[in-house]
Amino acid sequence: MLRIENLTKVYPNGTQALKNVSFEVQEGEFLVVIGLSGSGKSTLLRCINRLIEPTEGRILWDDIDITAAKPRQLRAIRRQIGMVFQQFNLVKRSKVITNVLSGRLGYTNPWLSLFGLWPSGEKQRAHRALERVGISEKADSRADALSGGQQQRVGIARALMQEPRLILADEPVASLDPVLAHSILGYLEMLNQDGATVICSLHFLDLVHRYATRVVGLKDGLKVFEGLPKEIDRQRFKEIYGEEAQEVRAATMEAA
Amino acid sequence: MSGSSRSEVKQPTWLHGLLSLIFPGLGQAWRRDTMRAAGIFLAVATALAIAIWYHWRTGQTFWYVFVALLHAWNVWDAMRVKGAPIFLAALPWLVIAYGIGWQATEVDPMALVENWERSSSILRSLTRPDFLARNTESFEGWVSVEVPCSTEPPLAERMNANGIHIRVSPNCAAPRETLIVVVDGLWPDHPTQLTWHTPIGDTQLLGGDNFNQMLVIQSDTEGHLTALIQVPARALTAAPDPNAPNLHKVYVSQQRELPGITFSENGRYVVQGIYETLAMALLTTVVGAVLALPFAFLAARNLMSGNPITMTIYVIVRSFLNITRSIEALIVAFIFVVIVGLGPFPGVLAMIVHTVAALGKLYSEVIEGIDPGPIEAVRATGASWLQTILYAVVPQIIPTFTALTIYRWDINIRTATIIGFVGGGGIGFFLWQWIIKQDYRAISSAFIAIVILVTIMDFFSARVRERLV
Amino acid sequence: MLKRILRLLLQIILFIGIVMAFAFSVRVTDPDLGKLFSSSAQARQIIDPLLRPDLVTRDSETRFLSLDFPVPCGSAPEGEALGSGPRIEIEPGCAEVGETVLLRGSGLPENTDVVVRWRLSSEGTLSLQRLTTDAEGHFELEVQARAIATTQEGVAPQIEAEYTLPGGTLHLSQAFKDVINEIFVTFLMALLATTIGTIIAAPISFVASQNITRIGCVGSGAYYLSRSFLNIIRSFEVLVVASIFALIVGYGKPFAGIIAMVFVTTASLGKMFSESVEGIDPGSIEALTATGANRFQVIMHGVVPQVIPDFLSYIIYHWDINIRISTIVGFVGGGGIGFYLSERLKSFEYAKASTAIIVIVVIVMALDFLSAEIRKRLT
Ligand SMILES: Nc1ncnc2c1ncn2[C@@H]1O[C@H](COP(=O)(O)OP(=O)(O)OP(=O)(O)O)[C@@H](O)[C@H]1O
Ligand SMILES: [Mg+2]
Repeated sequence: MLRIENLTKVYPNGTQALKNVSFEVQEGEFLVVIGLSGSGKSTLLRCINRLIEPTEGRILWDDIDITAAKPRQLRAIRRQIGMVFQQFNLVKRSKVITNVLSGRLGYTNPWLSLFGLWPSGEKQRAHRALERVGISEKADSRADALSGGQQQRVGIARALMQEPRLILADEPVASLDPVLAHSILGYLEMLNQDGATVICSLHFLDLVHRYATRVVGLKDGLKVFEGLPKEIDRQRFKEIYGEEAQEVRAATMEAA
Repeated sequence: MSGSSRSEVKQPTWLHGLLSLIFPGLGQAWRRDTMRAAGIFLAVATALAIAIWYHWRTGQTFWYVFVALLHAWNVWDAMRVKGAPIFLAALPWLVIAYGIGWQATEVDPMALVENWERSSSILRSLTRPDFLARNTESFEGWVSVEVPCSTEPPLAERMNANGIHIRVSPNCAAPRETLIVVVDGLWPDHPTQLTWHTPIGDTQLLGGDNFNQMLVIQSDTEGHLTALIQVPARALTAAPDPNAPNLHKVYVSQQRELPGITFSENGRYVVQGIYETLAMALLTTVVGAVLALPFAFLAARNLMSGNPITMTIYVIVRSFLNITRSIEALIVAFIFVVIVGLGPFPGVLAMIVHTVAALGKLYSEVIEGIDPGPIEAVRATGASWLQTILYAVVPQIIPTFTALTIYRWDINIRTATIIGFVGGGGIGFFLWQWIIKQDYRAISSAFIAIVILVTIMDFFSARVRERLV
Repeated sequence: MLKRILRLLLQIILFIGIVMAFAFSVRVTDPDLGKLFSSSAQARQIIDPLLRPDLVTRDSETRFLSLDFPVPCGSAPEGEALGSGPRIEIEPGCAEVGETVLLRGSGLPENTDVVVRWRLSSEGTLSLQRLTTDAEGHFELEVQARAIATTQEGVAPQIEAEYTLPGGTLHLSQAFKDVINEIFVTFLMALLATTIGTIIAAPISFVASQNITRIGCVGSGAYYLSRSFLNIIRSFEVLVVASIFALIVGYGKPFAGIIAMVFVTTASLGKMFSESVEGIDPGSIEALTATGANRFQVIMHGVVPQVIPDFLSYIIYHWDINIRISTIVGFVGGGGIGFYLSERLKSFEYAKASTAIIVIVVIVMALDFLSAEIRKRLT
């Protein structure tokens, strides 16, 4: 479904954030990207939908090269790929429902949506999306009136509106406490079971073991690991995270 | 919060409607929605005021319809628990404000096009500012002629110091009579201008049917020239007694270009205006800042709230500053021009007054915002009022004061460029003269000079302030 | 150590420079403080009427008293004074040319201005004196019979006293009404200029924001172009622009003032807007781009909602500034209250000018307060 070939990213200031990374993602996977801070996880995820322009390499989406897509084509691909962010990235002054609806922008007539006129079908869809993440009663609140966990659920609902085939989640739980982390990843898992492929970057190994079907490890922009979560033993862990690293657990308790 | 306010609305909503019908916004206020109530009241009041005014001015009653619509919206809004859509209220208000505004202020975009000739000549002269001119050298002489004739007219012949010899015959004439002018000693083969100077120093042209063109004649290879001229018809109009014979002058002058470029006459005025402007700005900022200091301390609430007497002083000084600040410097300058006469001085006075008011207020706000901790600490050591200010207040406020003063200097430069419009000196004074004379090329050189000056100073003051903060 | 000495040296040089510039400024502007005090006559001439604004007038009724006064004696019958009520008497009742008689008025209102004049037999008038009655409503005046005021064709010249009855009802003066009229025009001028300026500035400000536009070659070009445009018009002085447009669209037309204010409004709102756009949270732009929205949709749904409160507060702030500006654009022919004020000042009608100044102060202060309140609520 998604194949990444020799992906390299050099930032204008010379930082090599990705070096020749290649891997493949199958339909229905829950792929987790791990790596130290600064190892290039965010860069990798953003290259996939070209929020960041890759320097070299190809990204094939159903055999279409995303890196070579024209703007119109790129937007059509983007709307099939939902994205969830560490900082939620909601429009804070807008209502929750407006934020969720904005996930539908790629599908709608730009002029109608300009005046806040959304077809009633879209509104229903937005309410259903909010119901699925369990915060339908907050639809009319302003986004900045919500707690972090609630905001992230709005972020997921927004991605849901795209009816995505692929969800990119960049450290979706890094700003949340461990209990909330499980609940958010639970929603992603639910979407995954409903058929969406998920690529998610995570920090905590226990979460990786719990949710991932496959893992890619990055270190200084290089892919240093690719395999099943259970293959990450002490040795591998040291390879990815360096000699001094201690394994950190997100939470010893399991949420529900 | 929203839940509780919603449950408060138990009364039948027509009551709110009724209240709002009586007085716009009252129903909403009753519902404790004060912001909405205030907004609605303001909207209805302004719309009504504008409509009444326009009715009084032109007799048009049609606009009341929109006030009525707005009022109806207000009633509807009061009756609905969720309120009525705001844009439906904005609509009639905008129709009134812009409809009447458009008519009353005589907005007429066509005027720009209709006077296209004038606009384009202004635009064109923007590309040719009257600032620099080629160096020139001139060669001139004159002779006096009596107009009208007396019994014994003096001889109209003169040898000028530079060797130009002019003879006019006859020696005297009445307006519109013809004279023969013979000139020797000019530059050979060179265009020569002849003009008429009346005794009061007014220069009149000699060419054309109505004396409206410059008379230009080429000298011959020996530097000799003979011309027939007519005494201008208006040669005597400016004289106190037209019948008394007076000596007028016939001027001849030649001009040639030299290599090199200097300021043109207007260019020199522009330069003079610019440095006058800079001088006025600097002087007013420095003096204004110094004078503003005492006002600032007297207008600082935290220093003056001690007892009723200081509080009274505070209120008086504050109001004085506020009132003075709301009169633009230009208006004050006009008044000072009447008192002390034209020139930079009235402009300086007006700008100082305005600077004191504006800086006094800004400074006092800085003083009000200082950290009370150090004040307490110094006061605790038993220091006097003055010592407290010197040791606890002054060190805290110096950087902000400096930044505000530089900011004010920037504003004063802008003000000094225009205060001359009412006679207050600086570049504006010259610009205003040129605007009255419609000398577009001079206008454009002043305009460009001001743009450059303001841009440089803007940049400069922004840099300095950046460094300070 | 060396660095510190250099620093000190630099500061000293800077200080000396400023002092010299200041001295130069004093020389150039030639402030003559003595003039300020020596010209108290001119000062009184303008300050006195300024302190007595023309706000209200009284309904007043003007009365005339007149008496025939034959010159020389016998050329016509003498006028007969009334026995009671407001009246004038002349002693003696006639005179030869050059003789002086005594004019006495009585029964008039107390402390009122009276104008005494000859009404000539040829219909013309000749002013004699303006005086004030005493506390009993009396006045006396010596009048000399003059050759110009003689009986002609049997009609005797008259002596006339004109006075005004006090106690009419108070009502707003014409000047006050005119000022109110102009204030409305001024208010609307500022409103129109602010609106037009906003409409121009808003789109430009997005183009002039790094985070929105500065992508690719075309984007950077547009960014620098719009930035320079804003910077250039920022240095157009509003009064200069107004005076030039007054030349084009007509002296004293509010339209000229509006155009000038549109320039300033566009320049400063454009700058403030683009700063606000540059300060938004980039995350929401990223998020909306990721959903497949186009650039326009990203701006409308991701950027606009974030900047609206800032924009509104800047607009209100600038409307307030425009009201202040519109009080002076009239001085150069821009219309509105400023034009009224400058015309009154130029024609020495200082009491009327004072009315305008007072109304300006009240309006400017009120709107200042109102706009500050609204802006406080907005953020
Ligand atoms: N816009 C940028 N310009 C220059 N360098 C950048 C930029 N963004 C990221 N980098 C650099 O690229 C490298 C990879 O960054 P990236 O954000 O992809 O790491 P990450 O794995 O997501 O880290 P974290 O876990 O902290 O989010 C880092 O060294 C970072 O400093
Ligand atoms: Mg990251």
